[in-house]
Amino acid sequence: MKLHIPSFVILTLVSLLSLSAAAQQDGPPYTVKPLPPGGPAPRLANGKPDFSGHWLPNGAGQGVSGRFGVDPAARGTFDPKVTPELPPAFLPGAAAKIKSMTEVERELARSSVNCMPRGLPAIWLQNPYSTVIVHTPLMMAQLFEVLNNWRLIHLDGRPVPKNPEPWFHGTSNPRWDGDTLVVESFGFDERTYVSANGWFHSEDLKVTERYSRPSMNYLIVEITVDDPKVLERPWKSAPRRWTLGNGEVYEFYCTNNKEVEELEKLKDQEAGK
Amino acid sequence: MTTRTLRAIAAVSALVVLMAAPSFAHHSFATEFDGSKCRDFTGTLTKIEWANPHGFFYMDIKDPDGKVNNWSFQTYALITLRRAGTSRELFLDNIGKEVWVRGCIARNGREHYAAAGSLKFASDGILRQMGQLQD
Repeated sequence: MKLHIPSFVILTLVSLLSLSAAAQQDGPPYTVKPLPPGGPAPRLANGKPDFSGHWLPNGAGQGVSGRFGVDPAARGTFDPKVTPELPPAFLPGAAAKIKSMTEVERELARSSVNCMPRGLPAIWLQNPYSTVIVHTPLMMAQLFEVLNNWRLIHLDGRPVPKNPEPWFHGTSNPRWDGDTLVVESFGFDERTYVSANGWFHSEDLKVTERYSRPSMNYLIVEITVDDPKVLERPWKSAPRRWTLGNGEVYEFYCTNNKEVEELEKLKDQEAGK
Repeated sequence: MTTRTLRAIAAVSALVVLMAAPSFAHHSFATEFDGSKCRDFTGTLTKIEWANPHGFFYMDIKDPDGKVNNWSFQTYALITLRRAGTSRELFLDNIGKEVWVRGCIARNGREHYAAAGSLKFASDGILRQMGQLQD
């Protein structure tokens, strides 16, 4: 029997091999490499995929920051060359507001500088630390290392309030679409930013997360940001990957941040105070 | 191998063919430190201050005139160091011993203060990444 291998398979494998070979020519062999897919994803008692695990925002299943010998293919949650993300299409007023921000204001808008919660969706899009998911048929608990934040997504079909309190992670309304968990969230605190470049959001922000686990070692999260007061049309992320780790989960607090004091002084100087 | 299996391999391979992403620091490095003013430091580790989110370590470093100054160096977030295998214990074991650091000095003119990029303890000679590498 003749085996027909689709051309895209060959292209993908060739690019994988050539990238790896080219990258290794100049230095010692990488000690941190991409994690293999692993076996099939585990299932919950109700037959749906089980997203439980200690997930790292890279392809290695372990820490890649602060280390030498990391295969570039193991870094990051997506490769913009393979799955590009379009820039957000801001409405003219929003674009003008972002453009008018000074460099100091932009710095102060960063969660890593002002120590505010990242909030949804930045907790997925702008989070270099790990996340533990504990998943049952009735609930998905997300335990974020960053700022020790946590979030519960109830899967028991409970009613969702029409006018919820403004939480940093919003109020979630989940549903299954086959093996993908689709979580629509709304009702957000307005003080967070979607990304570190000044992308603010309105009270009408709606975030849709699509969770899937194509294999044991990989969690895929795709995010759609809809905000009719800020964006001309919804923005969609690449399918971003997290990989399964078995290392420890640590605490992380934002406390001894002296930079914010310096920046506040600079902001006052800008304002002529 | 079935076509379906090959497709699955291709899909996962496509996911793992990812290029380098910028490394993360707790702060914006560029705001606090000058990436164009990085240099090598060699001295003696005197103490450490490990606290969330950042670590700081201190070294006695002799300037060209022979005067010894105590420098402080900021590191990555503690959890980043720990996950990369660089623990507090390792630093404690090297207090009083020689250390080499590549670091970038502070922008605000604060004296004897820098961000650590890479580091080697004389005791084991292993190159460790302590913060964003600027050069």
